[in-house]
Amino acid sequence: MTELTTEEMERAEIEMLLPWYATGRLSRADMAKVESYLARNPQVAHQLDLVRDEQEQTVAANEALGWPSGGALDRLMAGLPGAPAGGTRMTASALFFQHIRDFFTFPTAGGVRWAAAGVAALVAVQAVAIATLLLGDRGGSYQVASGQQAGGETVSALVAFTDEATAKSISRLLSEFRGKIVDGPRPGGVYKIRLRLEDRSQAEAQLKRLEERRDIVRAVLQSRD
Amino acid sequence: MNRATDDAELIRRIAAGDETALRGLFARHQSRVYRFILRLVGNTAIAEEVTNEVFLEVWRNAAKFEGSSAAATWMLSIAHHRAVSYLRKRREEGWDEDAAGSLRDGGDDPEVAAQKSDKGAILRACLDKLSPEHKAIVDLVYYHELSVAEASEVLQIPENTVKTRMFYARKRLSELLQAAGVDRGWP
Repeated sequence: MTELTTEEMERAEIEMLLPWYATGRLSRADMAKVESYLARNPQVAHQLDLVRDEQEQTVAANEALGWPSGGALDRLMAGLPGAPAGGTRMTASALFFQHIRDFFTFPTAGGVRWAAAGVAALVAVQAVAIATLLLGDRGGSYQVASGQQAGGETVSALVAFTDEATAKSISRLLSEFRGKIVDGPRPGGVYKIRLRLEDRSQAEAQLKRLEERRDIVRAVLQSRD
Repeated sequence: MNRATDDAELIRRIAAGDETALRGLFARHQSRVYRFILRLVGNTAIAEEVTNEVFLEVWRNAAKFEGSSAAATWMLSIAHHRAVSYLRKRREEGWDEDAAGSLRDGGDDPEVAAQKSDKGAILRACLDKLSPEHKAIVDLVYYHELSVAEASEVLQIPENTVKTRMFYARKRLSELLQAAGVDRGWP
């Protein structure tokens, strides 16, 4: 069996630590050890580049998996010991909006602040996307749309878009459904949209169709006005 | 208050029977737990089912959570245990691995990705070809950004084994890339 030299052993140890060095999850002592080694052995920087590529693509592969289907929380809550066996089942959308209401109903609870921060980050990202969308729509002056669309019947709904939804995909969806964003973002990244209908009787079917677009729409709830 | 402390507070409330806290924890961690399981079991319906089992276990055992580790690490540990149990059961029941593989929601094969000349796609395709054991360590380190000690807790293996397993997962990845026509010059 070939014995490793001290240098080879040191290199092997550093190579093993590189993934955690890249994610910043090493102890201060190990971090210093890797940095010192990299400074003395610049050729190992290539390995660090490989590690960073691996991390980038691992994150991309995971993010591409998307979200579980909407009814997961419903099934979980129904399956809790003590949950009513024949209790009323809420739709995925109703649960989503219930969830948003839950968070903002208990503003002093310690566990809520992270949620508000997370939701705020999501709202900010989507708001930028939708602002971009509306800028394009309005020739450069962003403002939240309001008012009735000319002619025909309309139906209003509260909508939450998925994290993956882009300005382009939202724009295409709204165009397909002859819809417009008329308000938002509201707490939880919820927008109010208005869809144009040929006939009032189409409202329910249109919203159902909209809810089925799980790639772009996370939840839909019909609004009163 | 930091994220870990907030999680601990949610778990304390769950232990007291607060369903709203469970909803909060679910909303916060569901997608990451689900993705971790899905990468291992390769089937969305099963991944959803196993994810729900994880949160059900959190509900049942919240009172036993000691807070010595982060809640996220605890949940990933349950998720890993359940996903591995599922894979073991599948093997014991003699599932057709090819048929199971066809259920995966994956991207291209490395060969197909190579034809497209997209280095990122080739790397992702090769990551998808790793064994569940290697996939788990790679995801825990790169995506969930766990430390060596945390990964050791999730996988229930010594810290030195965590380091060597990650090393061999990366080495295997290089071999798969080589087979797909990408020479990384390492190892």
